[in-house]
Amino acid sequence: MNLKFLAPCLLAGALFAIGAVMPRAAAAHDYLITGSKPDQLYVIDPVKQRVISEFHIPSAKDYVSIIVPSPDGKIAYVLVDEAQRIVGIDLRTGREVFRADLSAPGERVKCLLAFAVTPDGKELIVYEYPTRLGIDSYTVLPPRFALFSTAGGLHAKPLRQFPAPRRIEMVLAKEDGRSFYALGFNLYEFSLRTGRLMQKRGILDWHRPNHSSPDMLAFWPVTEPTGTFTSPLYSMLIGPGTPRGGVPETSLMMLNLRTGQLQYHDFERTSAPIFSTVLSPDKHWVFGAYTALTKIDTRHWDVAAQIDLPHTYYSVNISSNGKEVYVGGAMCDIAIYDARTLQRKGDIHLPGCGDQSVATLRMIHRP
Amino acid sequence: MSGMKPINEKAGLLLEAAESGQLEEVSAMETVAGCATTFDPGWEVDPFGGVASLCQPMEADLYGCSDPCWWPAQVPDTMNTYPSWQEGKPSAQHDWRELDPVFPNTNAVFPKK
Repeated sequence: MNLKFLAPCLLAGALFAIGAVMPRAAAAHDYLITGSKPDQLYVIDPVKQRVISEFHIPSAKDYVSIIVPSPDGKIAYVLVDEAQRIVGIDLRTGREVFRADLSAPGERVKCLLAFAVTPDGKELIVYEYPTRLGIDSYTVLPPRFALFSTAGGLHAKPLRQFPAPRRIEMVLAKEDGRSFYALGFNLYEFSLRTGRLMQKRGILDWHRPNHSSPDMLAFWPVTEPTGTFTSPLYSMLIGPGTPRGGVPETSLMMLNLRTGQLQYHDFERTSAPIFSTVLSPDKHWVFGAYTALTKIDTRHWDVAAQIDLPHTYYSVNISSNGKEVYVGGAMCDIAIYDARTLQRKGDIHLPGCGDQSVATLRMIHRP
Repeated sequence: MSGMKPINEKAGLLLEAAESGQLEEVSAMETVAGCATTFDPGWEVDPFGGVASLCQPMEADLYGCSDPCWWPAQVPDTMNTYPSWQEGKPSAQHDWRELDPVFPNTNAVFPKK
């Protein structure tokens, strides 16, 4: 996938752990989580630069995509099987502890990459596209949010459902546990308990002076380590003195999941596409990945450094101390870079070399 | 619709329905026929009119396009009609020779009995 304006561009019960389980230690450590085809979920020690656990997900069916860790870092929820099943995998044992089959006889349901876990870890918020399958016709049904209890086991059913807007690509839970955000053409905030629309803020209609409507690609729901979701946006600067059609500008969207504050900042005349970003622990830097690794200074809102990557990486994350940046997704390796110098420090190759594709590179921090 | 003139009976009925508020809202077909999460046209050029900013190599991006139903014109719709297109081929960079084109009315859509 490439942006085009820009782009004109994871049986019941049984999982098999091939690798060793995570070592027990008193101190908390960083662990990277990613997935790959056909059905793998990996736990990686970025300090040792090696995979420490590799789990097979029997029900993945060659499709391992969005990964959402539980708040305590013990379980990874993974969207698998052509986007119609979410499974929960115990990250120490590899055991499947949760499964929600979204589709049912006569109704095919897809989750196009948008789901989240609540801050207390008790519920999953899933954005669903249902289609009624008739004998001679299909009927598109309104999209909806479905709420599942994470204690639902291997046959989880929705606790409640709410109407949802169309074209939602991401769901993010607010830290107070009372509401959640749905990100699409607009940024919506809904009550977690009732599904009531609480707030709607424009993204496509962001109404920024001298900017065209923005283009955005956002289905890597990385909010660690700061609790802030960030994503690049692309628009054309238009106004007096600009060439006909405008000048391409790259901006950053920042959504604070604690306060709800939404900010947009311009930081460069677009020179290279960026797919996903992560905010450093001190919030002074943003790192963006695609075919280049970009370091953005948030105090001056400009590009501090940029290097070419050996191949395209979709997803980016950062160590808890802010010293290392990790890029993953797309192919079968994770590269490690020094956050200060952008010097390459190493890489981790996934066993079997299955493509990560759109699997999310996540960071958990726990003993 | 004011600037458009129907030239056949069906178009006339469509216009009539629109004017009387009886036209059903257009429903997005993301998950029904040729899944698509985007209407972007494809892999031809990057935002600057060249190819330097496209995913590199192309194989890095292949499953990244089919898994989220990104560009169904360029890659098979593995979410609905060709779910087994990638079966046994987990690495696009190593298995690309076996990732065949698909065509309507093939065994993938109507399996042989």
